[in-house]
Amino acid sequence: MPLSATPGGRLPVAAVPRDIGRAMIGERHTAWWFVAPASAAMVLILGFPAIAAVLGSVNLGWGSAKPFGVASYVRLWSDAEFLRTLLNTAIFVISVVSLHFVLGMGVALLLNLEIRLRWLFRVLAILPWTMPDVIGGIIFRFMFDTLYGGINAVALALGWIDQPIDWLGRPGLALFSVIMAEAWRGYPYVMLILLAGLQAIPREQYEASEMDGAGPWQTFIHVTLPNLKMMLIIALVLDSVWECRLFGMIFGMTGGGPGQSTQNLTLLVYKHYFQFFDTAYASSIAVVLAAILMVAAMPYLRIAIRRAE
Amino acid sequence: MNRSFSKVEALAKLALVALLAGGLALPAIAQTTITYADWQLAQEGWGKSLRAAIAEFEKDNPDIKVKAEPVPLAQRDVRFSTAIRAGEGPDVFALDSNPVRQYIAEGWVRDLTPFVTAAGGRSFLADFYPNSLLPVTVDGKTYGIPMNTVAMGLVYNKKLFDEAGITAPPKTWEEFREVSKKLTRSSTGTGTVDRWAFTIVLAPAGFDLRVSSIFRSFGGDFLTPDWKRSALDSPEIKAAFNYIIDLILVDKVIPPGVSQVDANGARRMLANQQIAMKIGTTWSFPEVSAMNPQLDGWNVLKIAPLPVRAGSISPVHTTLYQKSLFINKNSKNPDAAWKLVKFLTDAPRMERWWDDNAMLSSRRSVNEGYAKIKQSVPASVVASEIQYGAFLPLIPQWPQILDAIRQNLQAAVAGTKTRDQALADAHNEVNAILERK
Repeated sequence: MPLSATPGGRLPVAAVPRDIGRAMIGERHTAWWFVAPASAAMVLILGFPAIAAVLGSVNLGWGSAKPFGVASYVRLWSDAEFLRTLLNTAIFVISVVSLHFVLGMGVALLLNLEIRLRWLFRVLAILPWTMPDVIGGIIFRFMFDTLYGGINAVALALGWIDQPIDWLGRPGLALFSVIMAEAWRGYPYVMLILLAGLQAIPREQYEASEMDGAGPWQTFIHVTLPNLKMMLIIALVLDSVWECRLFGMIFGMTGGGPGQSTQNLTLLVYKHYFQFFDTAYASSIAVVLAAILMVAAMPYLRIAIRRAE
Repeated sequence: MNRSFSKVEALAKLALVALLAGGLALPAIAQTTITYADWQLAQEGWGKSLRAAIAEFEKDNPDIKVKAEPVPLAQRDVRFSTAIRAGEGPDVFALDSNPVRQYIAEGWVRDLTPFVTAAGGRSFLADFYPNSLLPVTVDGKTYGIPMNTVAMGLVYNKKLFDEAGITAPPKTWEEFREVSKKLTRSSTGTGTVDRWAFTIVLAPAGFDLRVSSIFRSFGGDFLTPDWKRSALDSPEIKAAFNYIIDLILVDKVIPPGVSQVDANGARRMLANQQIAMKIGTTWSFPEVSAMNPQLDGWNVLKIAPLPVRAGSISPVHTTLYQKSLFINKNSKNPDAAWKLVKFLTDAPRMERWWDDNAMLSSRRSVNEGYAKIKQSVPASVVASEIQYGAFLPLIPQWPQILDAIRQNLQAAVAGTKTRDQALADAHNEVNAILERK
């Protein structure tokens, strides 16, 4: 019986000779054995806390003395602090990720040029990313300090201001300061992804563009960006997820204040779990945050699945 | 030859006896190891004296080994709560009175009543100030043993007072305002203010003790006496709330950036003479002096009772701070843990805490009987204020209530809410927290 391939190029199982089929099934089983330890570890490491959070949010967690109920979720929508924090998180993530893309793309384009000591500039450019976010938060807190901070000292010395600015004491300025600090610390991540994408663009495409008389801007729009599309989506999703979960930088710089002006969802979870010991409410916020992140991660997952297929 | 043989034989017998004695003694020195966690172990001065006390305890109790675990204050509740929830955690740990009722409500600390009863019951507890037992006692059961109790007062720099021509610390908040205007000035003559009168703590670490002391010295309080409702709508609290904001925004006698100032930041400002006054207690003396030895803090700094609002008749005008020791419910060695708790809170150790750290005791006999405390002016001021002090509300919701008040006060200072709106929001939020089951 001749073998006929499906449109996708795969052989229908019925059409595969018995011994080849057996071998394939055997290989598949072997593959499962290889994958099993890592999968089990993933389930334990990621699945267990996720399940614990969901159960905890409805008072079904271990040791919970309260009766089962969804009161925590109901409370979320009437809690002005939660809604304000949700808005803060959205403003923070959109601002920071936008800045990461502007900075990341700019630096990636520069580092993709054939220049001397390019390796050194590349090392320097990723240094902010190596700084733990809590440490970054503490350093920036000192830099933005009203009395002792370097930023006010420089601005005063240059005569730009005549009174020190209370950067972290004014809600608008505090949010701006935190966004700027995190924009600096986190941009290398986007830059590295985009730089990898830039290096994979075939040289011939640029040569053809040049022969067609395209200028640098046209080349960027019509050659670079389309080739980077996949990398841009990946960077956008991963960076957004990362920034949604950010804790250390904000905790170190402002602790979420003044008032609630820089508080994000992760800080709110921390506060309810570790300061107020309100496990159910903290878990319900964490579950909502996880749901938002899963929705945000969908484009990346689709790309990953499509590539795997 | 025989003689030398007998010597060898005697030595061999001696060695055998020693070996046997050692072998037999082995079970007797088998050690129980317990862990002791305390944020003050992470501080230089306190860490040293606590470790010295632990060494004394181990000497007195050779069968118990104590492993000291320094826990930074900012991470204390995170580490303790995570460990205890997981069935682990230190055997003995220290808490200030703020989160105590949460720990008791969660069932994380052991009921020490059987140990207290065995140690003498009422007679064992009789030496502790009655109000020092309030935070650690629920439904007649004792969950912790008080270690240090102090009242908050007004710590001030006498040198800066003299330079400004001020002869005595202010007794009322009205006087305080006048004094503050004199103390806020330029030290360089350029007109740029670089010395301020005072700072308040608006960051989480230290907010509770300082702001509550001002509220109380105005005759108000956060909650009604039964701790069931918010009392933030009282005229006294409104006056105190507006007073704090006036000091910051109208009189400008507080350095800019106050929203980020925590207890340590305030100490640093006092050490650097950027401010002349802050709310503190006896611990301010060693801590500020260590930050700037050139200040000569033990001589330059003084402490006075907090000013009160003119005409206030409230018997309470300050807040008490207390550190107590607790035994983890998961402890597998509660008997050894109790021995350590008892040792670290006995009178000789209390005297050591004063000698090394200028901390008053929760035991009346030590504060009133130890010569060095009796001779100390700061100690006498603070000890006499204990009777006018009260603890912060001893309810599990307290940290959440405190957060709501702090955030609204910060919002009023930042101008994102009007004063009235901020206070009304705080009042409503506190009631909502108390009504929530």
